[in-house]
Amino acid sequence: MGLDAGTSPHPDVAIPQTGAKTGEAGFVITTLEEAVNWGRSNSVWPLLFGLACCAIEQISVGMARFDLARFGSEVFRASPRQADLLIVSGRVSNKMSPVIRRVYDQMSDPKWVIAMGDCASCGGPFNNYAIVQGVDKIIPVDVYVPGCPPRPEALIYSIMMLQRKIRAEGTLGTRE
Amino acid sequence: MTNVIEKIQAKYPSVIKEHIEFRDETSITVSADEFHDLASFLRDDETLRYDLLVDVFGTDRLKLGHESRLAANYELYSVPHNRFLRVIVEANDPEINSSSNGMQSTEKSALPSIPSVTDIWSTADWLERETYDLMGINFVGHKNMRRIMMPDNWVGHPLRKDYPLGGEPVYFNHDRENPRFAHLGKPLIVGPSYETELPEEMDTEGNMVVNLGPHHPATHGVLRIALELDGEKIVRAMPEMGYLHSGFEKTGENKRYEKFIPYCDRMDYASPMCNNLAYVMAVEKMLEVEIPEHVQYVRVILSELQRISSHMIWLGTHSMDVSGTTHALPMYCFQQRELVLDIFEMICGARMTTSYFSVGGLRWPLPGAFIDAVTSFLDVFSGELKDFEDMLTKHPIWIRRLKGIGLLPAEVAIDFGITGPMLRAAGVPLDLRKVRPYSSYDQFDFDVPTATEADCYARYLVRLEELRQSMRIIEQGIEKIKTVPGPHRTADRKVSLPPRAEISTSMEALIHHFKLVTEGYRPPQGQVYFANENPKGWLGFGLISDGTAVPHRLRVRGPSFVNLQATDYMAKGGFISDLITIIGSVDIVLGEVDR
Repeated sequence: MGLDAGTSPHPDVAIPQTGAKTGEAGFVITTLEEAVNWGRSNSVWPLLFGLACCAIEQISVGMARFDLARFGSEVFRASPRQADLLIVSGRVSNKMSPVIRRVYDQMSDPKWVIAMGDCASCGGPFNNYAIVQGVDKIIPVDVYVPGCPPRPEALIYSIMMLQRKIRAEGTLGTRE
Repeated sequence: MTNVIEKIQAKYPSVIKEHIEFRDETSITVSADEFHDLASFLRDDETLRYDLLVDVFGTDRLKLGHESRLAANYELYSVPHNRFLRVIVEANDPEINSSSNGMQSTEKSALPSIPSVTDIWSTADWLERETYDLMGINFVGHKNMRRIMMPDNWVGHPLRKDYPLGGEPVYFNHDRENPRFAHLGKPLIVGPSYETELPEEMDTEGNMVVNLGPHHPATHGVLRIALELDGEKIVRAMPEMGYLHSGFEKTGENKRYEKFIPYCDRMDYASPMCNNLAYVMAVEKMLEVEIPEHVQYVRVILSELQRISSHMIWLGTHSMDVSGTTHALPMYCFQQRELVLDIFEMICGARMTTSYFSVGGLRWPLPGAFIDAVTSFLDVFSGELKDFEDMLTKHPIWIRRLKGIGLLPAEVAIDFGITGPMLRAAGVPLDLRKVRPYSSYDQFDFDVPTATEADCYARYLVRLEELRQSMRIIEQGIEKIKTVPGPHRTADRKVSLPPRAEISTSMEALIHHFKLVTEGYRPPQGQVYFANENPKGWLGFGLISDGTAVPHRLRVRGPSFVNLQATDYMAKGGFISDLITIIGSVDIVLGEVDR
C-alpha cells in the first residue's frame, strides 16, 4: 500500500499513491536497442593485455586510487574470448603486429578498441624501423587517447567516451 | 691498469694491437683470430679473473677510419678485483668494408665473423645473438645463431650505419577523406601470422611444446616462452623476445646527446629516474663535468624513491602471479607507488616519464614542499612495509610457492652475468653503489642485503631489505640537502643553459645559450661505458663519440635482458606454476628486455 502524501516525512516530496515503492510490478518503456546498449556500455570488460609504459598506467587505473570499477570496466579478462575491449597500451612493433591482429580477431563481437597513448595512436616518439606507426594500421580503433603515457584520468575519460559511443550504436547486425 | 696490460703482454706478447686509456677506462683492441684464447686467459688467470661478462655489442665504424669496419666490444668485469676492462675485437671481414650494404640479406657465412665465447661466459649467448641480429656479425661456434629482436623474415641489420632509421613522414592533419589515410583500419599484414622457428634441440615429437605468451597475463608484458613439457614438468624453457623492440639504440644514434634523455624513461618504465641517472652520468663522464653536491644528493634521493616504487610494482605483480587472482596486495603496493608518483609529479609534472635529470644537473630546482612530502611519505611507508612483511613473510602458501624454487647458485649466476638483487640473493654482495660509488653514494651509510639460499624466497627477502635500506638513504639525503640547498646545476656554461636573468645582461651567456640550443655539446672522440645499480640490476650505457653532437654509437645494456637468460636454468625440471614464480622473481620489464 502506498504512503499517503500527507504522512510523508518530507512534505515537499510527492510520493505516488501507488506503484514504485510498494513492491508491485511497475514498468518502464524503452526500445530494445537502448536497453541492450545500456547493459553493454556499463559492463565493458577489457582484455588483460599490456604492451609498454602505458600498461603500467592501465594497471594503475584498475587499482585503488583510480578504481575503474566505478565505470563497470574493472573485470580484466585474460582470454580474448571473454573480453569486449582491447586497450592497446603501448608501442606496437613489427614483430608484435600479427599477434595483436590475431588477438583482436579472437575477440567475439561486439568489440571495441582504445589506442592508449601516442605510440598506439601514431607511433609517438618512435618513428623508426621497428615500430608500426599507429595501431590503426592493423585494427580499427574507436577512441584515441593522447599522452605519453596518458594519465589514468585520461584513460577513464576515454572509457566514458566509449560508453557514449556504445549507447548510440545499433545492436542488430555486426559491425564491419 | 698497467699491471693488467703487462700481464696480458707477458702471456701473449703481440696480441694487443692498440691500448687506450680514456676517462679511467682501459680498452684494448685485438684481432678476431686471437680473441678466444685471450678470453679464456682473462677469465681463468687468478690475478685477472674477469669472471663477469657485462656486455657485448657491435660497432659499425664506417667512416671512422679503421681498417676493419665492424667490431664487437666486450665489457668485462672482475668481481674479486673490482676492475673493468674493454676488449674491442675487430671482426674478420674480407669483403665488407665499403661495398657491402646493411640492408641486404646476406648469408651468415658471408658476414664478418668473430669466434663465439659462449663456452667461456654463458652471458654471451643472447648478447652475441643480439649483435648478430642488429649489427650483422657472425659468431662462429655459437650453437643457436638466430635473430633475437627482429622477426625471422627480416632483411638486413638495422644498427649498421648504412641502414636508414626508417619511419614515416609525419602529417599534421588527419582528414578521413584524404586518400593517404585509406589504409586505416585495414590489416597491414595479410595472411597467416608467421611462425617463429624453435631451437633445433627442442624435441617437438616426443614432448609437448606449449607457447607461454606473447600475450599472457603472467609474463609481465609481451614475452613469449616456448616450453617443452614432459607431462607438467618443464624440459626446456626458451624465452623469445623482441615483441617490443623499439629501436632505442638506433634512435639515440640519430639524436643529439641531451635529446635521448626522454627515451630513457620509456625503457625500464618502472624506474625512469634511475635510467635517467645512468644516462646523464654516462654523458657527464664523457664530458668530464663537475656536478654540484646538491645535485648529487637529490639524484640519490630520487633514485632511491624510484627503487621503492619499482619494488612496489614487483611485489604487487609477483604476489598476484603467485596467489592467483588475489587483488588485495597489488592494491596496497600500487597505493604506495602512487604516493611516490605524487612526489615526482610535484617536482616535474609527470607521473612516470619524468626526464628530470639533465646533463649537468637537474632540469628545475626542487619545489619548497619537497622535503616535507618525502618525510611524510617515509612515515607512511615504514608502517606499510611492515604490513607487507606481516602478510607475506610467514604466510604458508607464499613460502611453499617460493622456497626452493628457481635455484641459481652464485657461480652460475656470475657465469650468466646476473646482477642486482638476484645475484645478492645468491650471496654475492655486489652492489655498484658500494663497490664503485657514483653520485656521492660513498657519503651514505647503508648495508647491502644478501642471502645465501639463492631461491625465489631469498630474492623476496633481499628486495624487502633493500626497501628498508633505501629509506635509510633517503633520510640521510634529506638531512644533506637541508645543509646544501643548491645550486641545481653546474656552472659550466658549455653544458648547462645559463639562467634567464643572465641572458639579458651578458653577451657571453647569450652566445652559450644559442650554441647549446642550436648545436648541443660536442664531446671529444672516445668511448665510455657507465653502469649504475638499477632496481633490477646493472643498467649500462655505452657511448662512442666521433666528436660531433650526435653519438656515433649508443648502447644500452638492460639488466632485465641479461637476467632473463637464466630462465631456462632455473625453470628446468620444475612445474609451469613454478615458472610463473620465477618470472616474477626475476622482475623483468619488457621495455628494457627488448629496447
